[in-house]
Amino acid sequence: MEHTSLLERILRGIALTLVVIFFMFPIVWILMMSFQTNETILRIPPQLVFKPTLANYTALITGKLTTAAGTLDIAFMRNLWNSVFLSVTSVAVALLLGVPAAYAFARHKFRGSEDIAFTLLSFRFAPALLVLLPLTLYFQKLGLANTYIGLIWVYQLICLPLILWIVRGYFEDIPADIEYAYRIAGHSWFATFRKIALPLAGPGIAAAGLLAFIFAWNNFIFALVLASADKQPVTVGALAFITSSGIQYGQISAAIVLSITPTLALALYAQRYLVEGLSLGAVKG
Amino acid sequence: MSQSALTISGVDKFYGPIDRGVHAVQNLTMEIDKGEIVALLGSSGCGKTSTLRMIAGFEEVSRGSISVAGRKVHTLPPVKRNVAMAFEGYSLYPPLTVRENMAFALKAARLPKSQVDAKVASIAKLLEIEDILERYPSSISGGQQQRASLGRALIREADLHLLDEPMGQLEPQLRAVLRGRIKHFIKERGLTAILVTHDQTEANALADRIAVMEGGVLQQFDTPDMLKQRPANLFTGTFVGEPPMNVFEAYVGTAADKINLRLPDGLSLDYDKDAFSGSVRDELLKRQRVVIGVRPYAVRRSKDGVPATVSANQWLGDQTHIAADFAGGSLVLVEHDRTRLELGAPINISIDPKNLHVFDQASGMAISHGMELA
Amino acid sequence: MASLELRNVVKRYKSQTVLDNLSLSVADGETLVLFGPSGAGKTVLLRLVAGVIDPDEGKIFIGGEDMTDLDAEFRGVGMAFQNFALFPHMTAFDNIATPLQAKRSSQSAMKAGVESVAKLLKIGHVLSHKPRALSNGQKQRTALARALVGSPPVLLLDDPLRNVDAKLRFEMRLELPRLLADRGATVVYVTQDYKEAMALGDRIAVMSQGVIKQLGTPEQIYREPANIEIARLFGDPTINLLDVKPSRDAKGIYVGLSNVQVHLTGAYDATVGRDCVIGLRPEALRFVDEGTSAAIPVTVEAETPLNEKIVTLVRTVRGREILVSRPAGTAGQTEGRAHIAVDGKSALLFDRANGDRIGSKNVVNLRSGEAA
Repeated sequence: MEHTSLLERILRGIALTLVVIFFMFPIVWILMMSFQTNETILRIPPQLVFKPTLANYTALITGKLTTAAGTLDIAFMRNLWNSVFLSVTSVAVALLLGVPAAYAFARHKFRGSEDIAFTLLSFRFAPALLVLLPLTLYFQKLGLANTYIGLIWVYQLICLPLILWIVRGYFEDIPADIEYAYRIAGHSWFATFRKIALPLAGPGIAAAGLLAFIFAWNNFIFALVLASADKQPVTVGALAFITSSGIQYGQISAAIVLSITPTLALALYAQRYLVEGLSLGAVKG
Repeated sequence: MSQSALTISGVDKFYGPIDRGVHAVQNLTMEIDKGEIVALLGSSGCGKTSTLRMIAGFEEVSRGSISVAGRKVHTLPPVKRNVAMAFEGYSLYPPLTVRENMAFALKAARLPKSQVDAKVASIAKLLEIEDILERYPSSISGGQQQRASLGRALIREADLHLLDEPMGQLEPQLRAVLRGRIKHFIKERGLTAILVTHDQTEANALADRIAVMEGGVLQQFDTPDMLKQRPANLFTGTFVGEPPMNVFEAYVGTAADKINLRLPDGLSLDYDKDAFSGSVRDELLKRQRVVIGVRPYAVRRSKDGVPATVSANQWLGDQTHIAADFAGGSLVLVEHDRTRLELGAPINISIDPKNLHVFDQASGMAISHGMELA
Repeated sequence: MASLELRNVVKRYKSQTVLDNLSLSVADGETLVLFGPSGAGKTVLLRLVAGVIDPDEGKIFIGGEDMTDLDAEFRGVGMAFQNFALFPHMTAFDNIATPLQAKRSSQSAMKAGVESVAKLLKIGHVLSHKPRALSNGQKQRTALARALVGSPPVLLLDDPLRNVDAKLRFEMRLELPRLLADRGATVVYVTQDYKEAMALGDRIAVMSQGVIKQLGTPEQIYREPANIEIARLFGDPTINLLDVKPSRDAKGIYVGLSNVQVHLTGAYDATVGRDCVIGLRPEALRFVDEGTSAAIPVTVEAETPLNEKIVTLVRTVRGREILVSRPAGTAGQTEGRAHIAVDGKSALLFDRANGDRIGSKNVVNLRSGEAA
């Protein structure tokens, strides 16, 4: 019954290969492009064999972009730093606010708690452009436009609901009895939160944090509207490669490779936590 | 009467590759007569359910053969084996009412409607599910579902009825009377039934013979009485029987015309040499170190017995369970009357040599039961 | 050290009343068993005492002190949960140590405390393991150790033996009384197993639907159950219940069982002509020879051994089923026709309309009459 025929195995192999090619192709292609000059990239038909060059990466790191029209200054490294700073700080703030809130929502069913929780989630449903225009005006009045604080604040729209809802689920999965047991042993609610709830939801919190980080990192629209060049993250910064003398595919590719590397690394690392977090059910046994 | 209803010979079950995978059932051979009720008893993972599933045909036999009513069936699909089964997870067909569930196999066999109705009615009465016949499985309790599932299996005519944990979910108040009725039903119709259970109370109540399994190996296959009186090894001895058998390690010695079984704490059970047959005596003296066992109901209190101290005395309405500190361990006695003993009270206990089970200390195999060699 | 009292406690969830104006007091050092089906409100009651949930009305006193508004950590009770509720990220040692930690005990005092209770419960060798590496029995003992370690004056045990196998449950049932007695704690013990209730309780409170239906010693509950429902819950096999209509003749009140008149003694005058149910415990019935006075003829249907007993299902000439039990190894009837006699003392009479037991608080006397 468990034995499969040869044909079945071949078909399965083919299907798997197709799926892998479909998902991996863009990544491989971009990686290849980042080691080519614009000329080799634009050659038709495209060539799989080429002489790799580090020129794109050098340009990004030194900030000097040489094009047919002359040399341009680009702030890619600055953008990269902005991305890191904005994402890390936003996630940190969101965790600080979101985890206790998630705990409250998970453990205390007060009047309207479901409504409040849902309202927070609904921020994620609204098209960003809808809120951006009034937000821009407010921010200009408040002097928050083009500041890190303003951006981090807006990024909470992305991070906070995500963290709140994911972490709430993890807290709810901890049997209440375990916390009761700690209270009855003579510990305050805060000690219970710190010593029992937090460690047990730890994998979940880590997973939610990483997910929020990736979302924040990938955000484009908020930063595009609310930040000027020196505060922009890489997602917006990559626009600089669309120059008057043409699109710098090579540099764009290199920029993409550099900017997705941290999130990719984090995602791969987070897998472990996600799996561990999902098997938290073992706690109940 | 001794026509074989089921023959299992040399059956192995491996999960994974043969000889390298998990060896769930090991070289199992057993024969079940027509009209017998047999229980496969063991804790989870002992191989009893794998065995049942191999008989039913839900699991491939890795090695060996299975015959039902003289036909080799282990290569046939389940439907061709003429075997009825009640599942542990009750698995009733959700879109059908309890009545339709029970009548399903009969209808498939094209029995006239009047006969089907009569059969369903009689089984429903037996299992006390008459009032839920028109309900759907999702709207009845677990215990009721289990009874419906049992009914669906019992209603069929088959060479073999397989019952997987058939009564685990039943309401305790119904259990005793349903056990009696089901046993009567099976016996009256001369059905052959195999039940799988981890609950020895159920196995004892229903089965003519019990196959005790552990670690994929058949430990002993015998009547409930024989399992109690002549357990083949220490495992069956301590596994079968509720409360479990008391066991102690002892050194065998002789003094004058006595045989001493020396226990920890300087205690000793002394018996006349003639209390054991010559061959038992020889075996005992040959070993020196043995494990002795005595069933809780066979422990007696007597004035000139070995001292012990009461550590618990629990009256359960119809029995009294007494625990006592004895020889560095704990000893349990069951008495059928209400016994009033304070905690900490000193008692003296004695064990009739005919109730003494002796096991080999190293292998756990039985050496003797009372007067006789195992 | 501390008595426990609940006064007019009410607890509702949404529109459902889980505890309905319940009052209960447990004496210092007493073990009270809360017995009842799931959903009876036993666990809720325990949690109210522990202080992890609050009552809607009523007061809770521990050692005479009003604890109703006090948070759980200040009540000084110990509790063991049905699902053990061990802290999965801590070792068994750390689990057990949590109550001592809360008291800010010194490291050495903590070590000594944990090790002594662990030794008592025979888990000294697994203290460094995390819960997932413990067997079910060890988990249960660890949970019990955690409840005991701080020597709390009040111990709440929520069906602690529910999730362990039969053998272990039996072992622990015999071990627990000494453990509890040694501590001198006031104990509230929740269970659904009547044997545990009878074995461990100084008194048993039978609960159903948020109310205490009967409160008494195991003996009172078994011999004088308040109603049919309680009579059915205690005893294995279950008590035989037969519809009867008592009549009167020159010798007094009698009931007819299979054309045999069985005379009752007791305050049953008011039951004449009323619809009643007679309750006969299986162990109070026995097989007798034909011709014995008041012998009821039956046919044996099946014999099913139960622990150290033999339970026989018999059918009377009127087709009524009766269970008879006798100690294993004693003589009985295994098949065919037989006769049984009602052996006095434990026969009970209930009102069929409302299920309440009829008669005085005293043990009912039942004397067999002559065959008609």
